[in-house]
Amino acid sequence: MLFNSLTFVAFFAIVLGLHFAPFLSWRTKKVLLLLESYLFYAAWNPPFVVLLWLSTAVDWLAAKRIDTATSAGARRGWMLVSVSANLGILGYFKYGEFLLGNWTALMAAAGIEWHAPAWDIVLPVGISFYTFQTMAYSLDVYLGRAKPTGSLLDFSLFVTFFPQLVAGPIVRPADLVPQFARPPVRVPGRLAWGLALMVLGLFEKVVIADGALSPAADLVYDAKTTLHWTDAWLGTLAFSGQIFCDFAGYSTTAIGASLALGFSLNDNFNYPYAAVGFSDFWRRWHISLSTWLRDYLYIPLGGNRMGASRTYINLMVTMLLGGLWHGASWTFVVWGGLHGTYLGVERYLQRTVGPTRLTQAWMFQVALAMLTYFLVNVTWVFFRAADFATAWRLISSMLTLGSGAKVLNAASIAQVVVTIAAMLVVHGLMRERRLEDVAARAGAVVTGLVVAVMATAVIVSQGSNNAFIYFQF
Amino acid sequence: MTAVTLAVLLGTIAAWEIYCRTAEWLRPSLRNSDGLWAITRDRIDREDGGVAIVGSSRVLFDINLATWRELTGGLPIQLALEGTNPAPFLTHLAQETSFKGVLIVGVTEFLFFSPVPDVDDRYKTLVAFKQRTPTDRASQWLSMNLFEPFAAFYDPDFALFTILRRQPWWPARDGLRLQLPAVRKLANMDRNRQFLMWDRVERDPAFQKVARDIWLAYLSAPPPPIAPGTFMQHVQGVIAQAQSDVAAIRARGGEVVFLRSPSAGPFLELEHAAFPRQQFFDPLVKGTGAAGVHFEDFADLQGFELPEWSHLAAGQTPAYTRALVPHLRAALASRGTPRRELGQ
Repeated sequence: MLFNSLTFVAFFAIVLGLHFAPFLSWRTKKVLLLLESYLFYAAWNPPFVVLLWLSTAVDWLAAKRIDTATSAGARRGWMLVSVSANLGILGYFKYGEFLLGNWTALMAAAGIEWHAPAWDIVLPVGISFYTFQTMAYSLDVYLGRAKPTGSLLDFSLFVTFFPQLVAGPIVRPADLVPQFARPPVRVPGRLAWGLALMVLGLFEKVVIADGALSPAADLVYDAKTTLHWTDAWLGTLAFSGQIFCDFAGYSTTAIGASLALGFSLNDNFNYPYAAVGFSDFWRRWHISLSTWLRDYLYIPLGGNRMGASRTYINLMVTMLLGGLWHGASWTFVVWGGLHGTYLGVERYLQRTVGPTRLTQAWMFQVALAMLTYFLVNVTWVFFRAADFATAWRLISSMLTLGSGAKVLNAASIAQVVVTIAAMLVVHGLMRERRLEDVAARAGAVVTGLVVAVMATAVIVSQGSNNAFIYFQF
Repeated sequence: MTAVTLAVLLGTIAAWEIYCRTAEWLRPSLRNSDGLWAITRDRIDREDGGVAIVGSSRVLFDINLATWRELTGGLPIQLALEGTNPAPFLTHLAQETSFKGVLIVGVTEFLFFSPVPDVDDRYKTLVAFKQRTPTDRASQWLSMNLFEPFAAFYDPDFALFTILRRQPWWPARDGLRLQLPAVRKLANMDRNRQFLMWDRVERDPAFQKVARDIWLAYLSAPPPPIAPGTFMQHVQGVIAQAQSDVAAIRARGGEVVFLRSPSAGPFLELEHAAFPRQQFFDPLVKGTGAAGVHFEDFADLQGFELPEWSHLAAGQTPAYTRALVPHLRAALASRGTPRRELGQ
């Protein structure tokens, strides 16, 4: 079920009504939330609910067995059961075709003619998110970071909780499971603020991502010809805003929906385009994934504890796999590789040059932020391009200021320039601030007005029921 | 906060609705959406035969479904889509369903024989139909029952960014690759996918000029870059595919009629020049072995009012349909295949 659909509006109204019904017990409300979450997921493709059940059952059992195992081998074995099951599901549905294609290419390179069978597998929505979330539960128990929960109902709800089920934030068990134990304490204004966040999230998705930016990005990236450098840059800038507003819009809506129900989810974005440097960027972009990769991949690989060379390797491996997590294509691997390179170079410079008076000057920091945004945009080319040919075409136009076809008209250019400029200003101003604090300082009337303007824009834009980009991951 | 938000939101939406109804002539209409098309398409699987229509905008505007029902006793399954090549839809009904009724195929030559694959976005309607999810069905039901019948502003032509992009103040950009203007709203739709010309097109001279100027931009655009020999080869391919599709439907006991609807003014002039019927419509009918009705063959299918040269005025469609049905009957009867679906 898409957040930006009438079905979700009706669905959420019913969910809220049942959730706040005074005549239902907390346990009944949790059972209802679980059933509603299954319904939410089944609204795309009912049979895939089985995958949720499978993921729930495997990690419930594995975590219990890890906790009660008396030998290290048994603990390790059950941990591997969880990891294999989750990565197996992910691998089959998401990477099967990719692996098969690469195997075929490898055979061809070796002079062996081999034709891969047709791979008509539908990718279950959000599979990368919920497999990582459930796997974290078993890994936390294995690593001694948490005890298994005693309630299958609470655990099932943790796996399936509909606001963040299909596109995050990826929630840690310790952050969410305890919240299901008892009814949330009533907090005045929480429901209204949750709904306001949902309006903000939908505004980001429907108005900015889909309405203002996506047409220009699509026109540029779907052009089958070499483009003029201005169009290549504008299309890429448009995509940088689109991908942020699409994904942050989903996260904000998810956080708002959870809050309206009385549950708190951690922020997933923190104005990333105001980042100064790449470690700062990754502390602000898709925070729940970057911390997941840090805790369950980078640190277990050794992190920065095994010498400088190994740290660079660990960084690169983490980012390459992070890239592959986004999509089964080499373009995503290159995207991750570029980020790994940026992080490595940044780390090297920090270690060899270190902070100086010059690097701490605000103008230098602004210049670094602009350089960061510039280099992030280069990576977005590989993220958005359907293939390497398109990516190279765009990159060469952008970096050589090349001439070529012009595909964006004045209206599209104005929309991209105004929207991206506004977004960068907002990110810059909000870099060290929290939205809640800004809203509190502005007062209820101003905040109410801003929310009304955003809601009006969402309705008048009409939307087009476009799926969120991150659903495909 | 909530009270302020609700008051301002309701106020602005009410103001926008009033503006759209008073200044922009809008009335609530169902959206010509993929979801409504899919609901209509479901009738193919549910009903045993009947009359179905595929084609582009002309058969969508021109055939009056209520009049048709009055004449034949059955409501046609209207599957035509504006600006869209109907050939893939003919193939879909022929090869992917068990349809065995009468299929009317509207032929607008520059779309039907288009060398551009999957011309226009509405081809995606068929893809969306095949990928429909439960949530798509629910959203369509909610929208067409609780929202569209009441909100006049909820029209794609009056979406925020559509309005913004068509403003005249945007300067022309030097060297820009040709971009044709977006076609403006021309009609309103009902639950049966009856598409009737919007009264503004008929009665507001300024808007009628806008609609005509947009068509003139399309008519003066250079044709797709394709060698003449290659194009005629492509036309032969289209006819061959249509022949296979018609044969599949006829083998099941169905019938197909190709219909060329009226056009006028610069549209008709260009169509005469670029798509002479001797090279396109006639070989299509002959090559497929289907029946064919061309409006230029019958005096009573001509002389109708086409405010923007391509589609009939709403008030003309009952008379046109009354004139058309007997010709369709005759076309089928003359081949020895009269059909009960046409009241024969």
